[in-house]
Amino acid sequence: MEDIIEPFEFKQCVSIVKSTGQKAVNLRELRMLISQVGDESIFHHIYQYFLKGHMLEYTNDFAQWAGESLEQRALAERLSSIDPYSCKSVNHVRKELTRVIDEHLSEFPEPHDVVTGDEFYFNETISFVFPVGVKTKNLAEFLVAIGHIDEGSIYYHFYDSRVRLGEGIVDDFSRWIEHTLGRKKLADKIRAIDPFMHSTERIREHIREVVEEYVRADMEGVED
Amino acid sequence: MIRKYSGIAPKGDLLLIQKLCEKLKGNSFLHINSTREGGGVAEILQRMVPLLNGLGIDTRWEVLEGDAKFFDITKKTHNALQGNPERFTDEMWEYYYEVNKKNIKRLNLDADAVLIHDPQPAALIDFRKRPPKSRKNVWLWRCHIDVGHPATGVWDHLEKFIVRYDAAIFSVAKFAKSLPIDEFIVTPSIDPLSDKNRDLTKREINAVSDKFNIPRDKPIILQVSRFDRFKDPIGVINAYKIVKKYNDCRLILAGSPATDDPEGEAILNEVKEYAGNDPDILILLLPADSHLVINALQRLSDVILQKSIKEGFGLTVSEAMWKEKPVIGGAVGGIPLQIVHGVTGFVVYSVEGAAFRIRQFLNDPDMARRMGQRGKDYVRNNFLLTRQIRDYLSLWYCTKHRGKNVIEL
Repeated sequence: MEDIIEPFEFKQCVSIVKSTGQKAVNLRELRMLISQVGDESIFHHIYQYFLKGHMLEYTNDFAQWAGESLEQRALAERLSSIDPYSCKSVNHVRKELTRVIDEHLSEFPEPHDVVTGDEFYFNETISFVFPVGVKTKNLAEFLVAIGHIDEGSIYYHFYDSRVRLGEGIVDDFSRWIEHTLGRKKLADKIRAIDPFMHSTERIREHIREVVEEYVRADMEGVED
Repeated sequence: MIRKYSGIAPKGDLLLIQKLCEKLKGNSFLHINSTREGGGVAEILQRMVPLLNGLGIDTRWEVLEGDAKFFDITKKTHNALQGNPERFTDEMWEYYYEVNKKNIKRLNLDADAVLIHDPQPAALIDFRKRPPKSRKNVWLWRCHIDVGHPATGVWDHLEKFIVRYDAAIFSVAKFAKSLPIDEFIVTPSIDPLSDKNRDLTKREINAVSDKFNIPRDKPIILQVSRFDRFKDPIGVINAYKIVKKYNDCRLILAGSPATDDPEGEAILNEVKEYAGNDPDILILLLPADSHLVINALQRLSDVILQKSIKEGFGLTVSEAMWKEKPVIGGAVGGIPLQIVHGVTGFVVYSVEGAAFRIRQFLNDPDMARRMGQRGKDYVRNNFLLTRQIRDYLSLWYCTKHRGKNVIEL
């Protein structure tokens, strides 16, 4: 009898945005509020940045504001290079953010105010997580499903998983492919996709490309 | 009815709507605003209420009644909340309150969720009925206007009512206030199946170009907006004049008369005079319900502008993007939320900037097409009616289940 394969169940994350009512008009205020707002707000502006489609220049909201509204490109680059998945907690990310801003403020101690309307608004979210009704039992089914699910599902399994599973580098897809299907090489290829360099749509395409390569090889009887 | 949106709206939104409706089935949802027709709020409610009923949520839409004096006061309130200085007396606020109070005799306020739209009916919160604890109801205040920089005093007065709601909803984060209640951000939306946005046949589009004598022999630049200084129609003509030196094109300015704006006619005349006798500038004054005509005008255009210098949200941008058109918008209100600069269109800060971007689009049709396609996807994911319904149901549900940041359904 064949082993029972634990299917991959696709879920999706949809977030509802809440305002904290807090806003910063300059870098010093931003620094102060970063140290004061709840974890949910830091989580939203850093981790959930990828849920927006990630089409902008930097990799989190704080960096984007520093680059676009404060026109402090060097600061934006430094904030953008903070890897939230290498941090152990949201508080760790918060400390990294304040460290980078403090370094900048020590060089430029008198930050200017942005024009009205360009302030940084601190938000947070409430996330709804739900199964989308798609389960796959093998690579071929997975390949079909990955092309049809919403971007919110890619976000949940590729980005959110890194925080949820607490390991930083592991996404749900590669975890299932390695541990359930036993395809470590393919799992490694998915893990090699840089999460900071692509939109969720491009992530989908990359996953599709590598999985398709393996499905085709399977059909042709080529071994891993 | 929600099935009609399948294949149009994101699957996840439709799924979440269905899941939340299963949870909220049998509950009642009451919307109250101050007009049955005209304006974006009524337009959305006309579409949303039947959809919610079809999903098993017992949804009603009631309209606050008032006399001319009341609406004069609330018009002033509206203007003052948007930053225009207005003079208010205690008597005016008392009258505002009395009209709200008088309405409770005819309005049935019993519902599991009550969503009050805008300031006119905001004082109804004073007449909230508290059902037994087992059936806790939720009162939400939805602000559709830009209250980011109100004139002194007016917000303070309104805030006394707002803080008594369970939550407030703003369209844009920068309109939100520092309040002791939950504040949600819900952007407005367009209905992809309405006459203003549904797919049109070539015949329907041609009928409109024939009716308005619009030749199709050169690229068309369009701005749809009421004739209002804040929409900068003169700036649009100036941008067109710059473009015309390099690229032959035609400009259409289409809009409805602004009945609540005494300046409207003067501005229309000013625009006509400024356009002079240039045969390539068409100024179309349309009746307020010309949804299908606007849809066709957008579809037959090559570049669509919303060069506002002050704006609430500016949903005409999403309407244009839904039709895969390259868009150019002023960097005000909700326009930069819809136009991701360089990705789904261009945000501009001047007449010269608008002209430069129009020329880019006219000279690079591939780029125009690419941005148009991305624009449609962006609207699909962010600005469709189904997303707004999803958000209302979600925040109703999470207001009932406070304290959770992740809700598994």
